[in-house]
Amino acid sequence: MKNHEALIKDLAPRKFGKRGVIWTSLLIVIIIVGIIAYIDQLIKGQVVTNMRDYALWGIYISNFVFFVATSFVGSVTVAILRLTNNTWRTPLVRIAEIITLAAITMAGITIMIDMARPDRLLNLFIHGRIQSPIIWDVIIIPTFLVISFLLLYFPLLPDFALLKKYFKDTKPKLSKWYGRLSLNWTGSEKQKHLQTKAIRIIAILILLTGIILQTIDAWLFSTTYRIGWDSSGLAPYFISGAFVAGIGALVTVIYVVRRVKKLEHYITDFHFDQMGKLLVLACLIYLYFNVNEYLIPFFTAKEGELTHLDTLLFGHYAPLFWFVTIGGLIVPIIVLFFKKGRKPFSMFLIGIIVVVASWWKRYVIVTPTLLHPFLPIQGVPKSWRSYFPSIHEWLITIATLAMALLIITLLVRYLPVIPIQRTADEQDELTTAKTIEP
Amino acid sequence: MKATYNFRFFFIAMFSAVLFGLSSHPIYAQDSIKNKIRLNVDYIKTMNKEAAFKIRASAKVDGSNIDVSNIELTVFNEFNDNKVKLGTTTTNSSGKSTFIVPDIKSIKPDSTGMYNITVSFKGDNLYKRASKSISYKDATIEAKITTIDSINYITATLKDTATDSLLYKQLLNVSVQRLFKLLPIGKEFNFTDENGTIVVPIEEGIPGIGGILTFEVTLKESDDYGTVKALVSAPLGVPIVEESTYDKRTMWSPKNKTPLFLLIAPNLFIFAIWGIIIYLIITLFKISKSN
Repeated sequence: MKNHEALIKDLAPRKFGKRGVIWTSLLIVIIIVGIIAYIDQLIKGQVVTNMRDYALWGIYISNFVFFVATSFVGSVTVAILRLTNNTWRTPLVRIAEIITLAAITMAGITIMIDMARPDRLLNLFIHGRIQSPIIWDVIIIPTFLVISFLLLYFPLLPDFALLKKYFKDTKPKLSKWYGRLSLNWTGSEKQKHLQTKAIRIIAILILLTGIILQTIDAWLFSTTYRIGWDSSGLAPYFISGAFVAGIGALVTVIYVVRRVKKLEHYITDFHFDQMGKLLVLACLIYLYFNVNEYLIPFFTAKEGELTHLDTLLFGHYAPLFWFVTIGGLIVPIIVLFFKKGRKPFSMFLIGIIVVVASWWKRYVIVTPTLLHPFLPIQGVPKSWRSYFPSIHEWLITIATLAMALLIITLLVRYLPVIPIQRTADEQDELTTAKTIEP
Repeated sequence: MKATYNFRFFFIAMFSAVLFGLSSHPIYAQDSIKNKIRLNVDYIKTMNKEAAFKIRASAKVDGSNIDVSNIELTVFNEFNDNKVKLGTTTTNSSGKSTFIVPDIKSIKPDSTGMYNITVSFKGDNLYKRASKSISYKDATIEAKITTIDSINYITATLKDTATDSLLYKQLLNVSVQRLFKLLPIGKEFNFTDENGTIVVPIEEGIPGIGGILTFEVTLKESDDYGTVKALVSAPLGVPIVEESTYDKRTMWSPKNKTPLFLLIAPNLFIFAIWGIIIYLIITLFKISKSN
């Protein structure tokens, strides 16, 4: 149990250490290289990519789907755990909110990167047909982005006020900024009432829009009459996949932040144990939907589906498919069933495997399907019938991932990663409860 | 004197050789460049409509067959030592041409009842002159629809016009006209009986615009009679119902024809969610003002 002073000292943002500076510089360099590659793509056109008539969607779209999936972490940890009154969520929610905001921001940027003519973006709003799932996506992404921002911002208000006070003498400029961002928070009853009510509304809203976002993302594929996508179960399949990707990202980031910021007293083994249970639940649900998505087409054995499944299970994409299935689902389920497997370091390793597998899973969903159209395209070069991203695509995609990590890094640098006021309140409640006990 | 005589002789000999060379060279060159045209002529007659000659011109140039386009061909009718010009036609880019006879009665038979047609090409810089003659007799097909025990049949009778005799054991094809190709009906091979007749049942349920079906009975590429067709239309089909959704509000319509439920439901949702977002932003202002 720590007093308020010690609590603020522990949880207040700190300057980057040497490793933090190197990490941030590395991310910036990767981003600059990616921007150069993107400028070249803008000048020369999408001919610099390996997307052609067959693979109309490539690594950009699979990367976009990954970001959208990862952004679901906010809905899961914040909304679901809040609405079910799971108090252990407190030290985890802020990081989940940060990941959500970073991921949905990058999802929006990535989809623009995929556009050959981003200068025509406005046409989507002016001439868009509401019948098209692409327009639904265009609407839901900015909506979810705003809600994600509000989800992060509202609970930060009391913390900004505390930080304003804390940095008043040592860093007056920073203190001024925190003061502005705190919106004159004094902790009055009226302010608390307004904030609590708003957070409750956002919790419901983020869950609702999160599900809509994942569903629309799935409908982008399932409303396209193609092998592997033409499935009524694709929306829950995507939601469960997002559940896995989100928790995987959360576990990984939390482990790193905990270690770098030395937050072992706040984010304990118990939290990792709980997250491990949540992740194994997510993996089991996703495994169930995976079985649905692959077993039924295999059973009904339509010719096109069999060709597609053959490529996935035994063919060109088999190593990738089995890596994402075994590495990204079955291994985590087995490891996390054991208490030792839910220890922080093993959780971190599992988290990394889950995140990497989640990224490649989107690649496996997007690319092989496009290479197996119902009607083969006539008169195209043979090389167009296969796809592997070009150097431009890799550089730009890695830059988007670096950009997401940079957003997370900067937010972790300037925001308290564990809600200070809420932690203090919980400690007070605990103290009061102990005092009342005889 | 002798030297002068020899010089004159030498001069005349050389001049003659040059003249011969100059005069013979172009003839020799033209003979080597000009190619031989092959003409193919088919006679096609559609009962109560028209008669036409389908002509195809091709040539073998440098070892490969090519279609000869844009050449003018003249069509003649030859009978009893007369040669009457029927008209001219020009081949298209595929080397094909259809010469529709302006008046079918203008073609006269010879004393044996044969019609003799010659298609000729007078030659040009590239091709030698060429001609192709065909002879045919006139035949008629009388086709009609009959109904026996509620089953519809198409009955067709084939006759030699000149002798007015029924033609026995001739193969007639029966089909229904479709948009792109003919749809064969009945047996694969329909040979005329001793009455020169075939009877082919018409299956039910064939769609047609307004329920009208046009049947085509054809004597195809006969050595004696050419191609003879008879067309008969009857309301025996299932009327095609117009299924265009052009004016309807559908998922695939343009923006201004969006289905109403898709206009109402998502927009309600969007307004509701953004209404709440605006409320939350106002709450931020309220928090700011309530210190």
